[in-house]
Amino acid sequence: MRNPAAILLAGGVGSRLNILVRQRAKPAVPFGGIYRIIDFTLSNIANSGITDVAVLTQYKPLSLMDHIGNGESWDLSGRTRRVKIFPPKTGEKDWDWYHGTADAVRQNISFVTSAKSDEIMILSGDHVYHMDYRLMVDFHRAKKARVTIATITVPWEETHQFGTAVTNNENRIVEWEEKSPRARSNLASMGIYVFDRDYLVALLTESKEADFGHHIIPMALGEGVVYAYPFNGYWRDVGTVQAYWDANMDLFDPASGIHPGSWRTMTNINAAGPAFDRPPVCVSSTGHVQRSIVSPGCTIRGTVVNCVLSPGVTIEQGARVSDSIIMHDCRIEKGAQVERSILDKEVAVGAGTTVGRGDPKTVNAAHPEHLYSGLTVIGKRTDIPPGITVGTNCIIYPLIPAEDFSGTNIGDGETVTGGYETT
Amino acid sequence: MAQVLAMVLAGGRVGELGVLTFFRPKSVLPYGGLYRVIDFPMSNLMHSDIENVGILSQYRPFELINHTANGEPWDMTGRQRCAVILPPFQGRGASDWYKGTADAVAQNIDFIRLHSPEIVVVISGDHIYRMDYRDIILFHLEKNADLTVAFTKVPPEGSSRFGLGSIEDEEPRGGRLTVYREKPKSSRLEWASLTIYVFRTQLLIRALMENEPASSHEFGKDIIPIFMENHRVYGYKHSGYWGYTRTIEEYYRTSMDLLGANPRVDIRSWQIRTNMSDRSIRDRPPAFIGPSATTEDVLFHCGCNVNGRVARSILFPGVTIEEGAVVEDSILFFDATVRSGSVVRRTIADTGCTIGRRSDIGGGPDGLTVIGMETAVPEETRIHGGVTVHPKLREDIFARQEYLPGEVVQ
Repeated sequence: MRNPAAILLAGGVGSRLNILVRQRAKPAVPFGGIYRIIDFTLSNIANSGITDVAVLTQYKPLSLMDHIGNGESWDLSGRTRRVKIFPPKTGEKDWDWYHGTADAVRQNISFVTSAKSDEIMILSGDHVYHMDYRLMVDFHRAKKARVTIATITVPWEETHQFGTAVTNNENRIVEWEEKSPRARSNLASMGIYVFDRDYLVALLTESKEADFGHHIIPMALGEGVVYAYPFNGYWRDVGTVQAYWDANMDLFDPASGIHPGSWRTMTNINAAGPAFDRPPVCVSSTGHVQRSIVSPGCTIRGTVVNCVLSPGVTIEQGARVSDSIIMHDCRIEKGAQVERSILDKEVAVGAGTTVGRGDPKTVNAAHPEHLYSGLTVIGKRTDIPPGITVGTNCIIYPLIPAEDFSGTNIGDGETVTGGYETT
Repeated sequence: MAQVLAMVLAGGRVGELGVLTFFRPKSVLPYGGLYRVIDFPMSNLMHSDIENVGILSQYRPFELINHTANGEPWDMTGRQRCAVILPPFQGRGASDWYKGTADAVAQNIDFIRLHSPEIVVVISGDHIYRMDYRDIILFHLEKNADLTVAFTKVPPEGSSRFGLGSIEDEEPRGGRLTVYREKPKSSRLEWASLTIYVFRTQLLIRALMENEPASSHEFGKDIIPIFMENHRVYGYKHSGYWGYTRTIEEYYRTSMDLLGANPRVDIRSWQIRTNMSDRSIRDRPPAFIGPSATTEDVLFHCGCNVNGRVARSILFPGVTIEEGAVVEDSILFFDATVRSGSVVRRTIADTGCTIGRRSDIGGGPDGLTVIGMETAVPEETRIHGGVTVHPKLREDIFARQEYLPGEVVQ
């Protein structure tokens, strides 16, 4: 039987990632040095033999569209393979934005009806995980389900963030609760669905409801055809700054279950970046690297411990960077110290400056719900001047030139917007 | 700019490179922790806006065909652009193998005519250098030359394995070539040919056809003398870095020029492109440097997993260095593995070879140790400096625990 076609919902805003999603959708956020979050789902698709893919975008889709390109990086280009990007279209009303996951699929129902497969997978581009979708499709067929939802056991205190399923002993879902404050099951939906194609078309035509979790699944449940596929592997939502940092740090841990190399995680190395290939990493005789992920094109003359470095990062002599995520083409100048921080692309940290050191109990004043655990985030292309200190739980906005800091130190929990509108 | 077609001589196998060229032509010898030697002329061509290239190859071309991928890595695919491999062929009037560099081009005169360029640039695909060919082409046109040859200054020695010449002192860029000797036994000439030739197309075709009945078919030995006799030949002085890769020692030295505080080859500024879709490179995660690793003056790329001590060395994608292993002054090709407790010094280890636990490889005054592709050295083996180990040897081939300088294990 033919592999299913896949619809990848890549519209996620991911607003709790704060300034990391100021210029890009959550699926386009860089991860693990050379990847973006969506690479995990795209690689799962490719490694599962799925060759017919629609990507539905909405929020700030430019870097995502650049990144996906024609799909070549995931072997989705060719005469019998495709990846099509569907931004929201203007319909009868001026702006028919997608109103929810089901609405997004409904607005592109022609992709579903034209697919040559009997099943449609609906996926999200927001998660970091390795999964062979073929096993789930086999399960779906064996159970003669019309809808199968991938589920994972989560800690009880997190159940309110998820749709949760109560199942019978044949994995059939008998009750469904969407983001319930008092969930009766901790078997959470991963936002991964297999639908019989005709059944999906019928559900979406009969109702006008906007969301799978809130509306469509409860409708289908009544017919007794919805099953829960149990998944036990590594799966992270990386929806908060702390979760994003944790998942990056999991890459060092051989026992964590996340190994981009062994499950052939693919990315598009050609999008953006320089016009030549990133040269090998150079660690000079003064450089010192320990327990870190280091991407091509980095030059290390200082010390790097417990870090994830994206391509093209320069760490100058006497600089020390620890427990941090440093994205593409950042420069850490001589003697600078960076701890527990996330630096978006092309950030410069001036000589002798200290970033991220402070009292983690002082949460961010503007966004206490985003930065509360002792991490500092610096936006793309901001230039931190030499000789200052930036504390912990700080948010520094993108594109701030060094002179705008006027030499002042940034205390714990402060936010520097540089005159830009706050989110 | 004039219509230019480039012909890259990429086919040869050089005996002096020994086990490193058993299974590949020297033009795809790995270099610099990521690249192949041919990436240098190809990137130079790309940066010089020369977008039509014929690559002449006849020795084990599979890896080369794979690597050049129709020129895509250098943006040479499109309606007006191409980079194609030109293998030897049999046909009416054509013989089979290329009998020499000039014969290789002569057998592809049809390809040249198809492109009808004003100028044909012939370059060899086995040197490490950076050059904007537009400069020498401009010089060639300004001088109204029929042939311009690029030279670099070398200390005059008794004999030479290069073509040597004398250039008239016209201007800083060069001048009329007054003398040319191919690999002279004794000479005081101090300009050595870089085997970069800029030809006026019609005269090149005529000279190639004129030389075809002869017994020798080399540019240096046969074609340049024909031009020296009848045409305007100029010498162009190149002053940048020039790295040879013709012998193991040269290849090693040219590689080590990438290291140090002020490397002679500043690869980061050269903007080299390679085939990133090649299966030896693609889909690898970034390098992981483990908690017990030390790295000092090292180049490495994706897929490396370093847990031991590495100094003054170059690691290609996929190299694994286990905890407690030491690698110094060495070059490890794709997916080579050094198991825990081993020491590897002054060694070139080819793609996919494995050094067993607690082995001691190379070092000492007796020259470099070379280990061929996919060979598995068993644990607790002592292989001295100056030993050559053949490719694809299984552990049980190693009958002894110690191999002395000069030995060849096969």
